[in-house]
Formats: sequence, structure tokens, C-alpha cells
Amino acid sequence: MPAKHVHQSETNWERFAALSELTGDQLVLAARTDGEPEWLIAQRVQAWEFFAQTPPPEWRRTNLTRLQPEQITPLIGTQGTLLHADTSRIPEGVVFKPLKEAVQSHEALIRDRLGRLIDPLSHKFSALRMALWQDGVFLYVPRNVQVELPLHVSYTLPHGSRSIFPYSLIVLEHGAQVTFLEEFISHDVTESVLAGPTTEIFAGPGSQIRFISAQHWGAGVFHLGSQLLLLDRDAQAEWVSVALGGEVQHIEAETRLQGNGSKVNWLGATFASGNQQLLTAPWLRHVGVNNESHMDFRTVVTGKGYSVFDGMIKIEHESRGTSTRLEEHAVHLTPDARSDSIPGLKIDTNDVASAGHASTSGQVDDEQLFYMQTRGIKRDEAVRMIVMGMFEPALTAIPVEEVRMSLTAAIEAKI
Amino acid sequence: MSSDLVIKNLYATIADKEGPKEILKGVDLTVRHGMIHAIMGPNGSGKSTLAHIIAGHPNYEVTAGEIWYKDQNILELEADERSKLGLFLAFQYPVAVSGVTVANFLRTAVNAHRAVEGKDPKETAIPVAEFRKMLREGMKYLEMDESFSRRYLNEGFSGGEKKRLEILQMLILKPTMAIMDETDSGLDIDALRIVANGVNLLAGKEMGVLVITHYQRLLNYIKPHVVSVMMDGRIIREGGPELALELEEKGYDWLREEVIGHAS
Ligand SMILES: Nc1ncnc2c1ncn2[C@@H]1O[C@H](COP(=O)(O)OP(=O)(O)OP(=O)(O)O)[C@@H](O)[C@H]1O
Ligand SMILES: [Mg+2]
Repeated sequence: MPAKHVHQSETNWERFAALSELTGDQLVLAARTDGEPEWLIAQRVQAWEFFAQTPPPEWRRTNLTRLQPEQITPLIGTQGTLLHADTSRIPEGVVFKPLKEAVQSHEALIRDRLGRLIDPLSHKFSALRMALWQDGVFLYVPRNVQVELPLHVSYTLPHGSRSIFPYSLIVLEHGAQVTFLEEFISHDVTESVLAGPTTEIFAGPGSQIRFISAQHWGAGVFHLGSQLLLLDRDAQAEWVSVALGGEVQHIEAETRLQGNGSKVNWLGATFASGNQQLLTAPWLRHVGVNNESHMDFRTVVTGKGYSVFDGMIKIEHESRGTSTRLEEHAVHLTPDARSDSIPGLKIDTNDVASAGHASTSGQVDDEQLFYMQTRGIKRDEAVRMIVMGMFEPALTAIPVEEVRMSLTAAIEAKI
Repeated sequence: MSSDLVIKNLYATIADKEGPKEILKGVDLTVRHGMIHAIMGPNGSGKSTLAHIIAGHPNYEVTAGEIWYKDQNILELEADERSKLGLFLAFQYPVAVSGVTVANFLRTAVNAHRAVEGKDPKETAIPVAEFRKMLREGMKYLEMDESFSRRYLNEGFSGGEKKRLEILQMLILKPTMAIMDETDSGLDIDALRIVANGVNLLAGKEMGVLVITHYQRLLNYIKPHVVSVMMDGRIIREGGPELALELEEKGYDWLREEVIGHAS
């Protein structure tokens, strides 16, 4: 196997002022120093002003009282972005580099897309993410190009940093194929840390994407993120959402089946332990004709962990012939652990092929435990196997072995 | 050490909506080591309940009585400890576990049996190649496709496939006392023969068998030494193989009348 190149941009240890003192002028100055184009600077400033004027969103199930963002002084530069890629195996024409660099080298590809799927002005935190992003990646796959090698980015917390706002922008042209894995990892932190990632994916006609997003932060991190995958005509996606780390997670995620004949299979694995509060709000929004979607989220809670699945199937008025199914299954390992499941179905058309949802929650099944124990397997080991079994579909869909192993180990450690 | 399975005056209840419901009402039964012992009896008479209690199901409450195996009152043991003692239950309704492959499950079970208190489990674990060979041979014997080993435990298996998998587990774990709860139900004629061969492979010297069935058909393949009849939570009659034939012919009513007649 050829050596893996980890390339990281030049370290630039400058900091913004603390959030409570940061001004729009300072933002503009930093962006100009980096040579950012005017349209981007304008986007940042608009978002910053919105952030400054807007109260935090009222999220009923996400408790932000322990987050103290005022003292956070975001870093300038992309030292939290690690790209793992063997450049010799990336086909010609494919771009995979830090977003900040790509803004210079591929401005035309970025300009009409950045911030177009996720409105930076949708709430205070989406605005903050747009105003302050430094870390990030741009992945571009040209027409009919298939990338065999999974492209993998790790977002990490540089030493001493208390915030990161990484931005992943992915573009697949007609017929392109790629696997993209974004991973959020860090050491445990004692003071609250704010992570605000944004992911926008444009999957062109007939393209195929496998997208894996693994939230695996150390303890103490607040992860307030947004992800949107846009599927054009006949595009196909497999999406794996893994949520294991951090202290509080609030992820708004959407697959928008815009083009006719597009398909998505979306798997989720969430495991909240200790005092973690992990919320995911995955939406399947159907716009085109004859689309197919399937969502299967698995949740485990233990200790005083709390998870929320706020999933939604939305079928727009103009959509016809949609076939969709949403499932969520939660297992509680301890009496104090909690989970809320709020699956919704909003159908604004008369023409639906099939639409259904199912959700279950409860303790580990007694009959399964008994069956396994009658084969000599101890109760604890049987519980471990049942939990690993719940996450098996999501884990096996992760094509990078190191990542799969480290997530598996993290899950086992939590049981 | 006695390798007979001895059940004495066993009473058991299950928690029901209306309170505890008594299902076993004084079961006395001895399954001798190396013997094939059949239990027959009408639906709902408590056969599966008895099998579950022998195997250690936590949801039943044993209110009186004892179960002895290998010099231990096994009612004090967890289900996994009973398995390690050599007991095996082939379920009437095997349970599916999603995401756990047959191979992974069986390897874990084999290693659990090989584990020794105070020793590193890695030291006692079966070498992967040896396990694969064992699995392959077992599946071949039971005419199961090898792809089954990669499937999730009982998930989407047909009734007959599930029963075959129960026998595969028995062949691999090599118990000294196997309880077969209606292993014949849902099997076609060929599968019945294959499954019976699997049982006969171990039955005899090494393994005693308690076979629960409604049909003489199975007993043509797995020939019982003793036949017991269970009715309303008790063993009401014990006899030789001819008792099974008699039941097949006449049903249970005559016996019920005889026994109730006796009692009154
Ligand atoms: N979990 C339970 N809750 C309530 N009743 C139960 C439960 N388990 C068993 N029973 C009842 O106990 C009685 C005996 O059931 P069991 O399954 O042992 O019968 P069986 O002899 O195996 O019948 P079959 O021949 O139909 O398999 C039945 O009336 C059954 O409904
Ligand atoms: Mg039964």
C-alpha cells in the first residue's frame, strides 16, 4: 500500500478576538489578509451581523446552558483540517483540498454553491458558522469520473483551541462517483468547546455518493451542525451518520431528493452515554418524481445519556410516485438513560407510491439475551453483541478500516 | 457424578396481567444420561415452559422443587452457566438477533465454553482456522449452504432453516444433555432426516436427549427409550416407545379420563 499523505496547510496561529469583542471590521481584515474574494467577504459580514443581532434559537430538546461561547477566540487558518489522501491514486481533474485554498484556485466552482443549500441566515449558529469558517474541504469530481479511494477528512481541535467551524463543500458532476468521509475527533476538553460544522453536497445527475459523517469528539464538545445533500436526477446516495462523542449535539440534516428518480439509503448510529445529549434531526425531502428513500437509525443510550431522533419525511406538492420508509430503533441499557423519538410524515401530494415509518424503544430484548445465554454467552457479552449488532449496518458501510475500527472500539468502550 | 437430569416436584409460575399464573404443578422427571427420552402432551400443557426453566429462563418463578444435573441444583445457575455445564436447548421458536452473524455468534459461544476462570480469553480461544473447519463440517453434515454463516442470526430464516441452525449449534457445542423442543415442526421429510441424523450423531454415549414432540414421525428417526406424557403441568404417565404409538392412535382423551378417574 502506498504511503498515505496527510497534508495540512501552513500553520497560522493568529486568533480572532474573543466572540464577545469580535467586530465585523476585524473579520473583514482577516479575510482580506487571506486574499478572499469580495463576494465571500460580503457573505461573512452579512452572516456576522445576523449573528450579532439574533438571539439563540429556542431548541426544546437541546440544552445550551453550559455552553459559554463569549470567551471563545476562534483561530484563523486551517490547522484543524487533516486530509488523508494518497494523491497518486486520485484521478485527474478531481479536486480535494482545504476549502480556503480552493476559494483561490477554483473560485468559479465555489461561488455559486457555498451557502446555497444551507441558508446561513436560518439561525444564530448557522450565521456564526458562515461568518467564521476557516477549516474546511472542497471536493470536486468531474463528469463521469469515478474515485475508487475513499476521500477522508478529519476535523480536529488544534491544541489550545476552543472552537472550530469546518465547512465541507462537495460537488459531483454528472455521472461522478465518490466516497467522502468526514470525521470529527479530539481529545476530551474541560472547558466548553463549540464545533459548528457545515456540509453541503451537490450530487449531479446520475452521480453516486457514499457520505459518511462520524462525530467522535472528545468529552465536552458542543457540536451544532448542519448538513444538506442535494440529489439531482437519477443520483444515488448512501449516507451514514455516526454520533458518539461530545457533550451536546444538535445536527440538522437533510437529503433533498430534487431530481426525478433519485435514491437515498440513510443509516444512523447514535450512542449517548454519561451525560451526553445527542440530537439528530434528519429530513428526507422529496421534490422530484419517482424517488426512493430509506432511513434506518439505531440509537443506544446508557448511563444518563439522552438522545433525540427528530426525523421527518416530507413529500412536496410537486412530487409524485415517492417510495419512502423511515425507521428508528432505540435501546436503553440503563434505567436513567432516555431517548425521544419524534418521527414525522408531512405529505403535500396525492400521489405517493408508499410511505411509512416505524420506531421502537425499550430495553435489550429479554428473549434475545436468554437465547444467547443458553449458548454459554454471558449476559454482559450478549448485551455487547446485541448493541454491536444494532450498529453493524452503519459500521460495515464505512469503507476506511482505521475509522471503522476506531469507531467500533469507541462503541465497545461505551457499553 | 450423576449426569442424569433429575427434576423433582417442580412448581413454576409466570407473572401474568392477573397476577402469577401457575404452569408447572409438580413435575417429576428423570432423563438418564445417554438415553433418549420423549415428552408428549397437548398444547399448552407446559412442555416448553419446562424446557425454558431447565435452560434458565429468568421470567418464570420456580415456587417449589429442584432440578439436579451433574451434582448441582442448577436452579441456582445462570443460563450461560447451565450451558457450560453441558445443557442445551433447541428452541421451539429460535430468536433472531440482527447484525450478529451466525459465525460470529457461534465463535463467541465456543469461546465462552472454552474460557477458563483466571485465564486470558485470548489464550483459550479457538484458533480461527480450527473454528472455520468445524463450522464448515457441521454445515456440510446438515446440508446447509455456507452462506448461512455470514447471515444474521435467524434473521429472515425460514422455519426449517432455523431448526437446522439449532442442530448446527448443538453439533458445535457438543452438549451432554440436549432438550429438543419441537425441533420437527416446520421440517420437510428430507430436513427431518438430516436433523435426526445430527441428533443421533451425538445421542447415546455422550449425550442424553429430552425430545419434545407431538408426532410419532420424529420418533421413527430418533428412537426414544422412554416416553413421558405431560398434561396440565405434570407428568402423568411414563412408558416405553409403544406409548407414543398408542397416543398417536388414540389421542389424549382416554389418558385424561384414566388419570382424572384415578384421582377422583
Ligand atoms: N409468558 C407467558 N405469559 C402467560 N402465559 C404463558 C407464558 N408462557 C407460557 N404461558 C402459558 O403456559 C401454558 C403452557 O405453555 P407452554 O408453551 O409451556 O405449552 P406447550 O406444552 O409447550 O404447548 P405447545 O404444544 O403448544 O408448544 C400455556 O397456557 C401458555 O399460554
Ligand atoms: Mg411448546
